[in-house]
Amino acid sequence: MIFVLFGVSAIVFYMARGFPSAFAPWAQYVSEKLKPGQLEAIIKAHGFDQPLYIQYWYWLQDVFHGDWGYSNWANGLPTYYVFVSRFPFTVELTIAATIFTVALGIPLGILSAVKNNTAIDHVARIIALTGYSVPSYWFAYILQLVFFYYFYTWGLPNLPSGGVISQGLAGTVPTITGLPILDGLLAGNLTYTVDALAHVILPAFNLSFISLGYLARIVRASMLDVLRQDYITMARSKGLPERIVIYRHALRNALIPAMTLTGIFVAGLLGGAIITETVFSWPGVGNVSLRAVFLGDSNFLLLYCLVTALIIVVTNLVVDVLYLFIDPRIKY
Amino acid sequence: MNEKADRAHGTESETQARIAELKYSLHQMRQNPLVLAGLILVVFFTAVAAVATLLVSNDEAFMFDFGQSYCWSNAVFSWTQLEATCPPGTNFILGTDGFGRDLLRMIILSIPLDLKIAFLIVAAASAFGVALGAIAAWIGGKFDEAILRITDVFFAFPGLVLALVFAALFGRTVQTLTLAVLLVWWPTYVRLTRGQVLVEKEKTYAEALKSIGVSPARIVLFHIIPNAIYPIIVQMTLDIGGVILTFSALIFLGFSPSPALPELGNLAADGINHVFTAPWLIVFPGLTILLIALAFNLMGDGLRDILDPRLRR
Repeated sequence: MIFVLFGVSAIVFYMARGFPSAFAPWAQYVSEKLKPGQLEAIIKAHGFDQPLYIQYWYWLQDVFHGDWGYSNWANGLPTYYVFVSRFPFTVELTIAATIFTVALGIPLGILSAVKNNTAIDHVARIIALTGYSVPSYWFAYILQLVFFYYFYTWGLPNLPSGGVISQGLAGTVPTITGLPILDGLLAGNLTYTVDALAHVILPAFNLSFISLGYLARIVRASMLDVLRQDYITMARSKGLPERIVIYRHALRNALIPAMTLTGIFVAGLLGGAIITETVFSWPGVGNVSLRAVFLGDSNFLLLYCLVTALIIVVTNLVVDVLYLFIDPRIKY
Repeated sequence: MNEKADRAHGTESETQARIAELKYSLHQMRQNPLVLAGLILVVFFTAVAAVATLLVSNDEAFMFDFGQSYCWSNAVFSWTQLEATCPPGTNFILGTDGFGRDLLRMIILSIPLDLKIAFLIVAAASAFGVALGAIAAWIGGKFDEAILRITDVFFAFPGLVLALVFAALFGRTVQTLTLAVLLVWWPTYVRLTRGQVLVEKEKTYAEALKSIGVSPARIVLFHIIPNAIYPIIVQMTLDIGGVILTFSALIFLGFSPSPALPELGNLAADGINHVFTAPWLIVFPGLTILLIALAFNLMGDGLRDILDPRLRR
């Protein structure tokens, strides 16, 4: 686990510091007050003239002292501050997308397994497959086109095309948790909450449409596997109605792999859905990281990649441990 | 997977068994409408890719000359959206794009490029990954551990970021973007092959081959990998769709080498400038990507059911 974090940071460090289009790491020290020769002195003092592996060592030392450096594009704000101020938006989007995924993916998978090899199964499988064949950037624009633009031109109630909150409402409630929906609820401002909810629907649906396909497929496969087990035949033969057989006996065991997958999705989404956040101008970390790539902001990229790697590694660990509690058949 | 227990019968009966297996698989395929639909779509797109330059002209003269940039950046002489984009209809079946090019022609021209890159990436990633995974599983020990840790690092990266960073580092060319996607894609095959080979090498036939003094390279290459190939083939089929999506996403997000490049993500990226005024510009290229990816995914999903004996009905 430690090795993974070191590996990720080393790769990103070597790549991001080598960007031809990047900000120079000493860009924040440049100002018109500099006298000739001073910049060279600064570069020398901070070790920017050293080989990259020595610079990486300096960077590691800084990080262990809690200094993540400055984001050059964000007017030189501390990278850590930029990340922390953007992360709640990503969390909100992740929660909403996970709710959509679970609420749509699991029923789709169950339906597909129970009606195995019928027309319903085929339709459900095509929906699931379409989910992960769809280019998400394209689907995001299609959603905007239909639910924002066409609904607007037809005079229907339309959903907003991007952002987290309408412009007139921004800043009307105090920031407590950073999640707009939760903040609105805590402040008792219903208009704000509803507006924030309306903003989250399209990006969350766009994200979930991709993952619900995977979820539905896993649920279908494990459900089919479970339905072939002896104890299901037993339950059927003692005359239990099919509904109870499926929901009480089969579903519980079939959902175990689905839980693993959901955990992995949440980890992936917390890392910021770059494409979706960019298209919907959602101010989360994924959106910022794309800008960081284009501007060569190596400090932000390093922090972002490390946090995401940490989330992914920890989630895998937690899911493995949870297995023990949920599935008594597994013993380590 | 058929155990090659009948070594005594020689390779002839083995070939027959494989053919029988294949015939059974084909029979299964015919029973499954989804696989059939996927197969038809795959054949259709491959055929279109093969004859693309015969269907439409690849002549540069048809394309807008990007060298003469004053034509479209000059305020006096500029082509506004209304002049350049022409809705789908009589003159152009799918309309024209923001640069006044026939959209259908651009889509047909871009299918070969996308498919070629996807095949290339999947072939390279699987060749490299399978080789590395097989060697790691066969040798075991420290080497295996090291390979596993390295793939761990790559799996811990957030999806696109590694490819984005790589593309930003080495510039915007099709070759760089291909390498960037390849960089993200190979670890899956290492893991998959490693798992398969670890199972296979414990089986009796592998032990037997070892005991009669067959060289390890020969055992792995000619005996273990053929027996472990089905999940890899399924993964490759599924990945072609995923690779096209990732590659076009990279181009869409701004790593396009040139707006003139006929590539589906590039065409869609042009469409976002006109998304509310000329929606067909983004609808049709995206729909083409969706159909291509869906075709390969349908086939891969079906192949998994067909080739996996446990899922056979």
